[in-house]
Amino acid sequence: MQPLIEFQHVTYAYSKASNPAIKDISFSVEKGEFIALIGPSGAGKSTLCYCFNGSIPQLFGGTMSGNLQIAGCDPFQDGTPVLAQHVGLVVQNARTQLFNVSVIQEVGFGCENLGLPREEILKRVSGALEFVGLTGFEDREPGALSGGQQQRLAIACVLAMNPEILVLDEPTSELDPIGGEQVMEVIARLNRELGKTIILVTHDMDFVAKYADRVLLLCDGSLLMNDAPQKIFSNFELLKSARIRPPQVCEIMHNLRENGYHLPDFPITLEGTLQVLKEMQYA
Amino acid sequence: MFSVSLKSLNSPLQKLDGRTKLIFLAVIFILVLLFTDLLYITALLALVLAAWFIAKLPTQPLKEMMQFFLWIAVIILIVQVFFYPGTTNLVHISKPVPAIGFSGYLTLEGILFGLAMVLRLVVIMIVAPLMVMTTPLPELMLALVKLKIPYKFAFIMTTALSLLPSIQNRSAIIQQAQLCRGISYDSGGKFITKLKASVSLLIPLILGAFRDSQTLEVAMNSRAFGAPIKRTFLLESRFTPVDILVIAGAFMLLTVGVMLRIQGFGVY
Amino acid sequence: MPEPVVIQCREVSFLYPNGVQAIHNISLSIYRGDYIAFVGQNGSGKTTLVKHFNGLLKPSSGSVTVFGEETRDKKVSYLSRKVGYVFQNPDDMLFSSSVADEIAYGPRMLKVDPEQVSAKVESILQELDLINLRDIHPFALSLGDRQRLAVACALSLDPEVFVFDEPTTGQDFFGSQSIMGLIDELHQKGKTVIIITHDMPIVAEHAQRVIVMNKGEIALEGSPQEVFSQVEKLQSLSLKAPQVTLLARALGESSRTILHIPEMVDWLQARLPVSVKPGEELTHV
Repeated sequence: MQPLIEFQHVTYAYSKASNPAIKDISFSVEKGEFIALIGPSGAGKSTLCYCFNGSIPQLFGGTMSGNLQIAGCDPFQDGTPVLAQHVGLVVQNARTQLFNVSVIQEVGFGCENLGLPREEILKRVSGALEFVGLTGFEDREPGALSGGQQQRLAIACVLAMNPEILVLDEPTSELDPIGGEQVMEVIARLNRELGKTIILVTHDMDFVAKYADRVLLLCDGSLLMNDAPQKIFSNFELLKSARIRPPQVCEIMHNLRENGYHLPDFPITLEGTLQVLKEMQYA
Repeated sequence: MFSVSLKSLNSPLQKLDGRTKLIFLAVIFILVLLFTDLLYITALLALVLAAWFIAKLPTQPLKEMMQFFLWIAVIILIVQVFFYPGTTNLVHISKPVPAIGFSGYLTLEGILFGLAMVLRLVVIMIVAPLMVMTTPLPELMLALVKLKIPYKFAFIMTTALSLLPSIQNRSAIIQQAQLCRGISYDSGGKFITKLKASVSLLIPLILGAFRDSQTLEVAMNSRAFGAPIKRTFLLESRFTPVDILVIAGAFMLLTVGVMLRIQGFGVY
Repeated sequence: MPEPVVIQCREVSFLYPNGVQAIHNISLSIYRGDYIAFVGQNGSGKTTLVKHFNGLLKPSSGSVTVFGEETRDKKVSYLSRKVGYVFQNPDDMLFSSSVADEIAYGPRMLKVDPEQVSAKVESILQELDLINLRDIHPFALSLGDRQRLAVACALSLDPEVFVFDEPTTGQDFFGSQSIMGLIDELHQKGKTVIIITHDMPIVAEHAQRVIVMNKGEIALEGSPQEVFSQVEKLQSLSLKAPQVTLLARALGESSRTILHIPEMVDWLQARLPVSVKPGEELTHV
């Protein structure tokens, strides 16, 4: 079966830029996968996000080469309104992507643009608000919500358009812990309960270790690694060169390994670590 | 200054369709431009102020506007006094200056004309916010679209208005950050210093606005903005009998006004 | 001998114009050389309280004194020379056309003698490793460099106390290390450092004193050791101790709080049987 997303040797440079922002990127994503996109600042993660819904190349211009296919659409030919029905994009700063005067207007905006019948829009809006836990907020002003609520609202806005794929660019990096957790909870459920394919850019490695099926490690515009979280977080030379800090338990187990201890397995979560340590005590 | 909680007002003006209000706005604009006679302008001003109070809008924004406008008003008055060819001389100022048409006297007509000019601007300055403050933005946008304004254009206009509060917010944060750098915004400093301080406020503000607008563009497009499809509007608007009445009244006013003007009334 | 008090809060309360009571009856002393982290959820009052330290906010009741002076009748521009405040977003503070000009702005505003201004700018450029960037336009700098510049600008007013509002939020690991390194350096030079943050691992690794706020009051206070040992209390405040601390707890360590990875590794090695790589001889037991 053909993958849902396919990138083949994609290179892109912003207009007037001397260097490409992403170089020779190739990977594929299957339906229902939870992909974490990690890497230091400036690695090209946001740029890559914009490639998923046609913003690059259609809004940003620049030069793009290579082949890519997103849910059967061609970002070079198919307009952003078409791609918007398959890919929902949520950016880092919650406040900036909200521009309507009421929550209901905000969530309905996308569906209105698609010319859906009014009853259908109202149904989708209330469904989306329920999923993200904002039922009852219909008449509130988006600007008056907390950061975490705004980010969940942004998710509801794209969810209402029923895309198969959701791309989220550092949705929690500007939020406080509670707000962040609530948003991450929604994202996990989007994958678990609705089967949405998720592409998440984040610096929260604990979350990646717990939920991601696969990790794409981007550094200086190149894809350094494309593998399961466990493979990435146990490869310390790679992590060091990419300036990534894995979950603390990984560092601890790595140190034990360096000091001569034999690990039956390399854990990346707290629970996993407790399991492995138990096995080691009784080895 | 213009952010008013619309729900709490519950005035008759709120219940009017957005189109009705826009038509009223257009009629007032035309009438105010047609006439230069102080009496007629004052009548329009009274009408507009009456509407303001029927709308139960607070008087604070009016006061702020007038304070801001005072200097401009004085300048306009002075200019008219010097340039307007009046005949009823009141006070002798100086020798005549034929080059600019100054007769050397402070004339009654000059003062009246000057006042009329000032009040024309005041009428416009009151009626525009009146519309905005009594019409939630989605209604305003719907009204524009139903009046055959292209959606994208209507969207740009109303979204710009809705972003004002967040610009105000940002401005407050930037001011705080800059206070911490030793900059003083308050009075008690040379004008140049204050001017420099304003520039230092504007630069981060404008840059931030640019960056945000790019993000906004991506967000809008990610939600199919501008799709070549007939757009649905969640909001519905229908004319009520009151709307018809107000629109009819506005058109009658316009007709009477135009007829008067054609007959030479209302101008000096 | 205890250090002198640099900032004193006596029963400080603050009420926002819209009626929200942000902080309630806070009494607190900050001593010279402190390295304090204020933590708590959004709305806990931590930022509101800290904004009293340089006069951005004046108490509704109670008093705040900075180096013995009441803040109530002092301007922020005056207090900024005692307490420097670095905002989360450096772009809110920068508007000059070169790095050197930006640093010189503050002293120039204070009418410092031009020669002294130049000398000060030079020394700050050196200190913060910005010397190669002196003529570059601030907007052309990377985020990390813009942050350094923002710190340099605060430093140019010679304050004794520094406040950093969310220094690591939104940054990657390298960026966090970089700014925290800078903050540690300032502290080593004798400055009093206050950070407001959500980043608990940062607090565990750098701060010497932690103040946890909740609903406008101080909920917990003490060394990182003391504060993070109260795992349940932190959880009730929706704050999480670092993973290493939670691991130690889960493994049954209750007599002390482990905050650092090397500590944890030592602890584990003391309790695990010595393991041998296949093919190697056990040389000692």
